[in-house]
Amino acid sequence: MIRTQITTPWSLALLALLSLEARAAEPKRVLMLHAYNYTFPATSTIADAARKRLLERLPNMIEIDAEFLDLARNADASHEARAATFIRDKYGKYPPDLVMTLGSAALPFLVKHRDTLFPNTPAVFTSISPQTYAAVRPPPDVTGIVTDFDLAKTLSLAEQLQPEARRLVIVAGSAEIDRRWQAIARKMVEGHQRKFETTYLFELPYSELAAKLSSLSRDTIVIVLTVLADSEGKAFVPAAVAGDLSALSAAPVYGPYDTFIGRGAVGGFIETFESVGIAAADMATEILEGKAPSAIPPRTTPSQHYRVDYQAMQRWGLKEGNLPPGTVVMFKQPTIWDEHRGAVLAGLFVVGMQGVLLSALLIQRRRRARFENLLLASEERMTFAAAATGIALWQLDRDTNNLWVTEHCRKLFGIGKDVPVTREALLANVHPDDVEIASRAIQRSFDTEQASVTDVRIVPPDNEVRWIRIRARRNSGDNGRPEKVSGIFIDVTDQKLAEAETALQRREIAHLMRVSVLGELSGSIAHEINQPLTAILSNAQAALRLLGKKSPDLEDVRDALEEIVHEDNRAGEIIHRLRYLLKKEERKLESVNINDLVRSTAALLHNELIARATGVGLDLENRPLLVTGDPVQLQQVLLNLLMNAMDAMASTPLARRHILISTRGAESGLMEVLVKDQGAGIRPLESGRLFEPFFTTKDHGLGLGLTICSTIAQAHGGRLTLVNREGGGAIAGFSLPTQAPAVDAA
Amino acid sequence: MTEKFTIYLVDDDPGVLKALSRLLRARDYEVKPYSSPQLFLAEHDVAVPGCAVLDVAMPGLDGLELQRVLTASAGSHRPVVFITGKGDIPTSVRAMKAGAIDFLTKPVNDTDLFEAISHAEASDAQSRRLQLELESIQAKMETLTPREREVLLHVVAGRLNKQIAGDLGTVEKTIKVHRSRMMEKLGVRTVADLVRMAGVLNLSK
Repeated sequence: MIRTQITTPWSLALLALLSLEARAAEPKRVLMLHAYNYTFPATSTIADAARKRLLERLPNMIEIDAEFLDLARNADASHEARAATFIRDKYGKYPPDLVMTLGSAALPFLVKHRDTLFPNTPAVFTSISPQTYAAVRPPPDVTGIVTDFDLAKTLSLAEQLQPEARRLVIVAGSAEIDRRWQAIARKMVEGHQRKFETTYLFELPYSELAAKLSSLSRDTIVIVLTVLADSEGKAFVPAAVAGDLSALSAAPVYGPYDTFIGRGAVGGFIETFESVGIAAADMATEILEGKAPSAIPPRTTPSQHYRVDYQAMQRWGLKEGNLPPGTVVMFKQPTIWDEHRGAVLAGLFVVGMQGVLLSALLIQRRRRARFENLLLASEERMTFAAAATGIALWQLDRDTNNLWVTEHCRKLFGIGKDVPVTREALLANVHPDDVEIASRAIQRSFDTEQASVTDVRIVPPDNEVRWIRIRARRNSGDNGRPEKVSGIFIDVTDQKLAEAETALQRREIAHLMRVSVLGELSGSIAHEINQPLTAILSNAQAALRLLGKKSPDLEDVRDALEEIVHEDNRAGEIIHRLRYLLKKEERKLESVNINDLVRSTAALLHNELIARATGVGLDLENRPLLVTGDPVQLQQVLLNLLMNAMDAMASTPLARRHILISTRGAESGLMEVLVKDQGAGIRPLESGRLFEPFFTTKDHGLGLGLTICSTIAQAHGGRLTLVNREGGGAIAGFSLPTQAPAVDAA
Repeated sequence: MTEKFTIYLVDDDPGVLKALSRLLRARDYEVKPYSSPQLFLAEHDVAVPGCAVLDVAMPGLDGLELQRVLTASAGSHRPVVFITGKGDIPTSVRAMKAGAIDFLTKPVNDTDLFEAISHAEASDAQSRRLQLELESIQAKMETLTPREREVLLHVVAGRLNKQIAGDLGTVEKTIKVHRSRMMEKLGVRTVADLVRMAGVLNLSK
């Protein structure tokens, strides 16, 4: 009995204890208020993560309920009212300690009906955009996670993966949330720097949407936003839509949602729903532990990242290298290397070390022989290749004066097989005039970093003269002192011959043109020479007659003889001028006074001008205009310009036929000869072609005159111009650089 | 002849002008040298006997044009000798057709030049003689009465006195009187002289 009595209070105490314990451990009740149904991927992921986290943080203290408002499938107000009534009836008596909303539609629902449901219960929301948050304006004891989607970053990820893309397609449905996305997308595209050919697939029936996506070109970026409903009012789950569209789309699909990844979308700049759930659960924990909800401000996007699906990237052949740094790559199959890197490395290392040890001796032994062979082969290859291209290689040692050359040198320098190739043997075959040049060029190479190039003539015994180009460059020794000069010999005879040939041809043509101009002038020139000859003959015959008289006037005879001398000189001068123009010599540079040249050219044309009834005026600079050039060629230019001026005035009335030649020295170091005629001028169509070879406006012209004159002008550092003169006619200008002005006495 | 035969020399080349002047003067010609056609034309006097020696190629007015100007000026029958540095055939043909005495190519040999000038001298003298004769015949013709002139034309045409009387409606005797008075006035004695005189005057038509 006693025992029983004793037992009873113990039992009572135990019960009391137990009940105390039970009261103290009364679980906190959390209601997960889902906006959509149980299988809605985004909200269920958040909910799962949040549940797991809550159970971790507050073990044995949490009771979780869930209600699914199903607001997407049933968008009508009566459904919402019925749902509110249902929740009030169900939880009114025992309100939860905390409500967590999942999905963006759930928070407006809660805020709207909170007073009738559970007015004092704090709430934590998730999946709310900044816009929704601002619109709903929840009371202070409602806090949560604001998700700020940065759609531009999703697009930028797509751009980096598809740099060649030119088109952009954006998909959104017809539900309220979808329409919110539409506005965001349009704004983002407008503000985006790079402009795409953008198509918005909004407000379409699902079948049409699918058809459109399947016919896209590969260079398109597809961004799928939410499709909660299509234009026909059919309800959809966005993640499922993204998955289906990814499968049938002809171009890669991107999206801003975590749940799209793994369903075929390539990726996006994404907040994982899991991290949202965890963050929301942490907030809930704080509130359940007693912190005032109003003291916990809403948090925005705790962990957004670029996220991509490796499998989807593989499907489209997108390169991992194009991903922005820090991108989370998901679903990548790890390779053996990835998984067991340490073990593989260790194994390889051991095997490698053994191999090295085993090989070491062998290598050591064979190394020397191999390198020797390699070196020999390399040298042979190089020598062979050089010889094949006609190049001989050489090297000269400064101290020993030893010359190393390749075999091809014999051929280039014409050295016999039995003669050793030495420096002396080479120099022996160099043209005597060039020996000095050759040895100086090589000697100079010791003093400069610059590679030197020298051409010398080689006179091999019983053979033609050949041109050899010597390229030389020094090699510095270890102490930086130039010890060796090395280089190549190459036969440039053909090149030299071609150059000479070209120069010769150019000279020949210029000469032929002079001859042809003089041919045209032959009549005038004959007359020009005839004048002094006439004067000489008449003077001589007059003198003879005078002397035959009984009392000859010796004074008159002397005058006649003096005239003869004078006129003879004059004839000589004309002939000299002609010979000058007719000779075929290389260009000779002299100091030429252009004024003198103009005067003598005008004199040469004196009779031609008369024959063509053309007047000529000279307006020459007062001081001598000195240029450096070939007087023959310069006169050829003047002669040509004057002939052209005369030709141009063939149909000008006699009274107007006049040529004005003026010379001017400009400050800029250029002097200019201008030949102005009163002819027909230059027709616009001709103006661009006047200096073209074989272009002529004359009936019997060759079309080479101005071409050659222009070449001569350029060779003298000058220019030939031809423009129309104001008021009719043309002006031919011939500019040349003047010599440095002579020291003026004044 | 009161004035000496003068050579008008025109050449734009001063050396040639001087030399030719010297040569002609050495042959004792009177020479007037001109370095341009304009200077020559300004001083030229038709009355002075002489000839022109002209260069063909000259600036401004060439020799052939100068020849034309000379021929065109009334009363001038100045003989012209051309000298040219460029003796081309078309120019020489034109010059000769226009009445040039000769067309010489430079350098001119003195004998050729003198020969041409003596031709010119003869031509000038003859044309001057003809001119004088013409002038004296014309003066005599002025003294004839209209009837005597009519008779003159018929005589020159070879008509007999009887025929002339018939033509003019008079008697042979009257015609005889007119005829002898007319021949007296003109200073001819034979019909042959009369015909020659008429030829000079070109009266045959």
